[in-house]
Amino acid sequence: MEEKILEILEAISGTDEVRNDRDLNLFEAGLLDSLGVIELLVGIEEQLGIKIEPTEVDRKEIDTTNKILSYIAKR
Amino acid sequence: MNLVEIIDHYASVCPDRIVHSYRGSSLTYLQLKERSDALASYLIDTYGEDKTPIVVFGHKQHEMLICFLACVKSGHAYIPIDESLPVQRIRDIIESSRTKLVLEVSGLGSETAEGEFHVLSGNEMNSRIEGYLGKKPSVESQVQKEETYYIIYTSGSTGKPKGVQITLSNLESFVGWGLGLCSLAGTGEVFLNQAPFSFDLSVMDLYLALASGSTLYSIDKTMIANPKELFAFFRQSGVSVWVSTPSFAEMCLADSGFNEELLPALKVLLFCGETLSNNCARKLYQRFSDVKVINSYGPTEATVAVTALHVDREMCEIIEPLPVGYVKNDCRILIVDPEGVPVAEGDRGEIVIAGESVSPGYYRNQEMTAKAFSIRTIDWTGHSKTVRTYRTGDEGYLKEGLLYYSGRIDFQIKLNGFRIELEDIENNLRKLEFIENAVVLPIRKEDKVQYLTAVAVLNRKLEQKEFETVLFIKNELKKYLPEYMIPRKIVLRESIPMTVNGKINRAKLLEEIK
Repeated sequence: MEEKILEILEAISGTDEVRNDRDLNLFEAGLLDSLGVIELLVGIEEQLGIKIEPTEVDRKEIDTTNKILSYIAKR
Repeated sequence: MNLVEIIDHYASVCPDRIVHSYRGSSLTYLQLKERSDALASYLIDTYGEDKTPIVVFGHKQHEMLICFLACVKSGHAYIPIDESLPVQRIRDIIESSRTKLVLEVSGLGSETAEGEFHVLSGNEMNSRIEGYLGKKPSVESQVQKEETYYIIYTSGSTGKPKGVQITLSNLESFVGWGLGLCSLAGTGEVFLNQAPFSFDLSVMDLYLALASGSTLYSIDKTMIANPKELFAFFRQSGVSVWVSTPSFAEMCLADSGFNEELLPALKVLLFCGETLSNNCARKLYQRFSDVKVINSYGPTEATVAVTALHVDREMCEIIEPLPVGYVKNDCRILIVDPEGVPVAEGDRGEIVIAGESVSPGYYRNQEMTAKAFSIRTIDWTGHSKTVRTYRTGDEGYLKEGLLYYSGRIDFQIKLNGFRIELEDIENNLRKLEFIENAVVLPIRKEDKVQYLTAVAVLNRKLEQKEFETVLFIKNELKKYLPEYMIPRKIVLRESIPMTVNGKINRAKLLEEIK
């Protein structure tokens, strides 16, 4: 599952930095924006079957790769 | 009555009705009239016969509406600039407009506030308004039919924005048609305002709301970045007429909570600014059982939109792609070949718009105006008529009176409803001293641009990781371009492939970066 999420993130951000530096703030680094978040959630639903509503998550909960991974692991 | 008088008359018919609602605060029709009258009187006293356009800088505050009306009541066109634009872009617009006054609804920042113009701060503006309350500008001081009502700046291929001038008569023609379109005989609707006022999609919600005595319900960029907050505002909005880009509706549709329970009063959804997909229309009908989806099309140069139609449930199943509609009756659509000769019905060509909606041209930019605008005598249902025409650069075709949009002829694209000249980004990338050459490519999925990728060739090696260089480029670019124009991906390469003619081989490059 982790690998799938990393792949989705790489595809959205266009860099493997999301894999290398997992504590990097993705919003501050310009790697994720509002539409990017929607793409991420849609990608997770399509590939992993985990449905997360955009209105459920706060930016702070998913602003680094590590936080995204643990957020989804908890679902 | 002209448009401004119509808006004003609601102050006597329904003085306490809310004209603008934003973050829990409301402005009534009476307040709008009194405050815009006062500010207009101050402007007339201060600037007299000098009718130079005035910049209104801010985001979604009530004062934006007050300033817009005050400008036109005192005979000045207004230039709306959203606060999210980068400093350099704001400077370019202020410089090219040669404005003498900036009405500062949001703070301009010290870097931008210097120049050959006066800045009236929010506080000063309020005290001027208080001082002039009760004063009424004369009808003769107002912007007249053929004078410019607003100027909206759009992305230009040279790397500098161009100001589209829209006259009162252009705007009135649009409003009259637009109100008929959503068949709102009555008043008191609630219109959603999603787009910033510097994007002409906002003209659709702003003036259809004001002309019908309705309420404009504004959402801002902070809400859009935080869906939870956005939906909480939706819930209390009472929105009955939705106006947005299809992309924004798609973003909302990603949440299953976007449905008729959230927006029980919703009746009409008006889309403009980019292609409405069958899938998006279909989903909207699944979520909202009793609404009307209207698709429309038009460039800023022809006052927001010139074609529209009601896309019903049946149509989204049988016609793909969806047509963008029938042309309004005081305009005509011509489809022409590269020599400007009309093509046969059903054949593709460049979309040319003729008639009342067409702008007189770009402000203080004769060169660009001459390229796209002309006055021509064309066939007008049986007789000939001399009208203004605008070459859109869009490709499309007509079938049984319905216009279909196929895409752009040049390097202009639409991303999330924003109009972007790819060359504008490329020229700004090339300005960075360490960049040798740059190409910007739109990445499409099902014919819709998903995001932009820039390919850059550096003129020297930088002492940092590639990722850091990319981040550095993005941050540099943000000084010159609005957020939505920053390519999401930036690929660094040794060279850019060329065609045999020596042009950049975009097709090959697109393949290579996949």
